[in-house]
Amino acid sequence: MVVKHKAIFKTESPWSNGKGVLLKLDTGSWRTERPVLDVSKCNYCGLCALYCPPQCMFDRGDHFEANLAFCKGCGICAKECPRGAYKMVPEGEFANEG
Amino acid sequence: MKAKQGQRRVLTGNIVAANAARLCRPEVIAAYPITPQSEVAEQLSAFVADGMLDSEIVEVEGENSAMNVVCAASVAGARVFTATSSYGLVFMYDTLLQTAGFRAPVVMVNVNRETPGIHAVSSGQQDMIATRDSGWAQIIVENNQEIMDQIIMSYRLAEDFDIQLPVMVNYDGYYLSYLAEAVELPEQSDVDAFLEPLKKQPGRPRVIPGESTGCGTHGMEMGYVEARYKHWLALERVKNKVDEIDKAFGEYFGRSYGGQIEEYRTADADIIVLASGSAAGTARTVIDAKREQGIKAGLVKLRLFRPFPEERLIQALKGKKAVGVIDRSVCFGWKYGPMCTELKALAPSIGSIPILSYIDGLANLDITIPHISRVVDEVQAAASGKSFQDVTWIPMEEL
Repeated sequence: MVVKHKAIFKTESPWSNGKGVLLKLDTGSWRTERPVLDVSKCNYCGLCALYCPPQCMFDRGDHFEANLAFCKGCGICAKECPRGAYKMVPEGEFANEG
Repeated sequence: MKAKQGQRRVLTGNIVAANAARLCRPEVIAAYPITPQSEVAEQLSAFVADGMLDSEIVEVEGENSAMNVVCAASVAGARVFTATSSYGLVFMYDTLLQTAGFRAPVVMVNVNRETPGIHAVSSGQQDMIATRDSGWAQIIVENNQEIMDQIIMSYRLAEDFDIQLPVMVNYDGYYLSYLAEAVELPEQSDVDAFLEPLKKQPGRPRVIPGESTGCGTHGMEMGYVEARYKHWLALERVKNKVDEIDKAFGEYFGRSYGGQIEEYRTADADIIVLASGSAAGTARTVIDAKREQGIKAGLVKLRLFRPFPEERLIQALKGKKAVGVIDRSVCFGWKYGPMCTELKALAPSIGSIPILSYIDGLANLDITIPHISRVVDEVQAAASGKSFQDVTWIPMEEL
């Protein structure tokens, strides 16, 4: 048997690391709507980041923001936010952003 | 260099397993007690409490957690040990697959017992068979000394840099777990010396605090295929490695078991009985008796079940006239016993000979001398061209 495949893993076991190969699911592509934050309503309480299922919230120092590479658009941050600072906006609204 | 004569003690199979694990110095142990394995977990706790073993014992609420703990500790670089049986083994099924997929070199004792569905607190190999495709190496041993020796050898196998796979050491519940027989306990320094070659190998990857490394991260598409391909190749390598380690063990400790399979009076045999576990001891007695009657019978004891010892079995069975396989479990949905089913796949290489399947020894029913004697007679008749029954459930006919 001739194996043409170029190895992804450097190790015998399927190990990856943040500096080299990081195999991941491109879950951002599953999203049909995204959380958009009204920063003026946010008091940086952190509940959105705490409840975020894939834990993909960036800490911006005075507010949190979803990492859209991973955010599936589940809307839990918007549901949990006590101040209603997040609005779930359909992806179609961003279609022209490329 | 030879090992010193070890201390001879009369011990049950479970206590032997605990002693074997102790001598291999696992750094983390997590085992949930379950009949007929409980003594293993209890004895290991006692060793730690008595200061005879420097291990972290993690008390868990079930087997699923036990396997998760030892898998995680192994991925963090520790040497680990666990033990289970039956319901416990199937309760950890998802983590068994995970441990194998992570290529974590966990060594586990599985004390064979019948599985759920029919509540049977009794011996049988169905539990091991139910986890056949989990990606573990599975080895079956025959007596208490072999429990001791195979656990030590299993660390050499699991942690070998070319292998990096979890290893399951199986022995018959009740027949061996509670059977007390004389066993030679190797000296600690000799076990250390036997495991020393592992220290000279390159280090396997491990979790490092503060570094974003991980094992088993989503292997999408080709990542998944590559991981599976390497795992499959590693299991193929296990076969020769088991033989090599057995040979090295024999040279050092003076006891060896044939590696993947043990052949008994097979060289000039016409017919072969294939058995595994404690039944192989009874089979040897029957083979000797039949030989005195002029029947040229031999025994193949299957030690390595996963990976299946294809090449060694072809070598042992080529040119034989008929084979009888005794299975202590059932292959649901395929009429022959599990080991017989696998053996039949070798038919093109060993020739189109009669292969007779026998189901016996379920639920603590003994695989007796008359039972095996009957197998030999029927296999002998089949070898001389007489018609035969494909599958025989011996207890259904004998009781």
